[in-house]
Amino acid sequence: MTLLSVTDLAIDAGPLSLVDGVTLEVAQGEIVALVGESGSGKSLTALSIMGLLGDGLAVTRGSIEFDSTDLTQLSQQDLRALRGEELAMIFQEPVSSLNPLVLVGEQVAESLITHGHATPAEAFFQAIEMLRRVGIPQPERRAAQLPTELSGGMCQRVMIAAALISKPRLLIADEPTTALDVTIQAQILALMAELAADLGTAILLITHDMGVVAELADRVCVMYGGRVVEQGPVGPIFAEPRHPYTRMLLQTIPRMDEPPKEELFAIKGNVPSPRDWPTGCRFRTRCDRPTEACVNRPEVIGDIHSVACFHPDGSQP
Amino acid sequence: MNLLEITDLQVHFPVWRGRFGGGKDVVKAVDGVSLTVNANETLAVVGESGCGKSTMGNAVLGLAPVTAGRISFEGRDLSTLTPSERRRVWREIQVVFQDPVSALNPRRTIKKSIAEPLVIHDYPKAQIGARVDELMALVGLNPDQRDRRPGALSGGQRQRVVIARALALNPKLVICDEPVSALDVSIQSQILNLLMRLQRELGLSYLFIAHDLSVVRHIADRVAVMYLGIVVEEGPATEIFANPVHPYTEALLSAIPVPDPTLRGKRKRIILQGDLPSPLHPPKGCPFVTRCPVAEETCKDERPQLVETSPGHHIRCPVRVNQ
Repeated sequence: MTLLSVTDLAIDAGPLSLVDGVTLEVAQGEIVALVGESGSGKSLTALSIMGLLGDGLAVTRGSIEFDSTDLTQLSQQDLRALRGEELAMIFQEPVSSLNPLVLVGEQVAESLITHGHATPAEAFFQAIEMLRRVGIPQPERRAAQLPTELSGGMCQRVMIAAALISKPRLLIADEPTTALDVTIQAQILALMAELAADLGTAILLITHDMGVVAELADRVCVMYGGRVVEQGPVGPIFAEPRHPYTRMLLQTIPRMDEPPKEELFAIKGNVPSPRDWPTGCRFRTRCDRPTEACVNRPEVIGDIHSVACFHPDGSQP
Repeated sequence: MNLLEITDLQVHFPVWRGRFGGGKDVVKAVDGVSLTVNANETLAVVGESGCGKSTMGNAVLGLAPVTAGRISFEGRDLSTLTPSERRRVWREIQVVFQDPVSALNPRRTIKKSIAEPLVIHDYPKAQIGARVDELMALVGLNPDQRDRRPGALSGGQRQRVVIARALALNPKLVICDEPVSALDVSIQSQILNLLMRLQRELGLSYLFIAHDLSVVRHIADRVAVMYLGIVVEEGPATEIFANPVHPYTEALLSAIPVPDPTLRGKRKRIILQGDLPSPLHPPKGCPFVTRCPVAEETCKDERPQLVETSPGHHIRCPVRVNQ
């Protein structure tokens, strides 16, 4: 069943369009990866779902339906009731996302107390249980410490515990392992997959790392220049990418079975800033086979595996 | 001859306990590292945060204090040189840092940034303009952009400026400290290709400090794996990636997410338990003992020796050596 359904979402900063017509769905218990580079609009899309867009940014078009309620129409008060309860989010920098002056246990317990599900004493007890669940050794001792006394990997576990303690139905994870070392990243990814399966939580995973996507996601949504260019199940996206950007993104990853020291595949040009997006298809200036048609905006074609391109791979002989 | 030779390098930092005379602890950021970089070669130093890889690079650049050990460049021990001789040696050793945004002065034009080392080292004034244009062309920038400021450039272009500046004085060795980690994925391979081309054309040597092993595998001739201030495994890149021997190298390699969903769950993965021990109180014996899947009782007490297991391939693990 569809849990989250974003339709034709547009986010503007004054006259500047930053997200333009994003449509994506997350089913119950599903892990969907939102992939893109800086400026692709992936984090803005996530923040708009949480109702956390900063000053000067506004949703100007489209709807965000969560469990059949349009979040864009809710008051801040109603959104607050959902956040931390049904919707939770974890960020890239665990250390700066935690309050350095509040005990770890209190921060994990906070959403239970705020939403009136438990007295502070009960909530603290549940927080210790949750810390144990995310693999923190000696949770009783850790709960009574400050975040500064914990390592980065440990802080990310605390963030996950705080996000999942009220058993949200959707967890938005914005680059949850980018700031972590690779051996810690492996631990956190395994933990997220396990907890999501146990609690039935759906995850919208925002990342730029195709390796992480391949390890964790059920479906993938690739963004470029504020738009979704390709969307589909993880298998076909990696095996038969249809949009040139997806294909080239996969080609740029140095492969472990390739001879070393040879020239790597590179996408030409730079990641354009929203001010410099070309008209029509926004990837056409970096694409390896643009045509005249590409000055127009490509329609999204396909259903389960969809692509926004006039000449998708695999469509021609 | 070895271009750079680091022998038993130690870099220790005092850490004061409390504010009022609680005595001091010592962080042994680099604790006995010996490495060599040959001419026209790339030595990659890999490891997780806190392993001492950047501190070691900084020590070579004179940016971190050397507690003990020797750093020789072209056979000359840096510590025995006079300040002016050392200044001349450091012309030959340049650096590219991770974040091009903070490595460039935002108020300075590209030309001024690239020209800075030339000015410092008394390059003939009349030729500076031509040299800057030449360097910009060399790294794939349009010399017409010389009067722009970093804010007008993208991340990849800024890193090209940083590389151009590092090459201004024709160095022999460039220390690259995570040169692509801050860049977008579609830009990373452009910069890696540039670094490899410059090495071929100019005969450069790189000390390449990185945590991304798929990048390292591609660019390095030899690899040294560091953990808590020591080298645990070192050898030819092809060897290390095909036959990692040290359990930490093995874990590091198996932790890399592989961009192939069909391998999910089928790949043998070693997920290490726990975190890096505090560098203030490292384990007494092998530093990896607290997380090691093959540790034995003796590993807790004895610091393992570096043993050559095949030509040029050294590891520091008695358990694996004895197998």
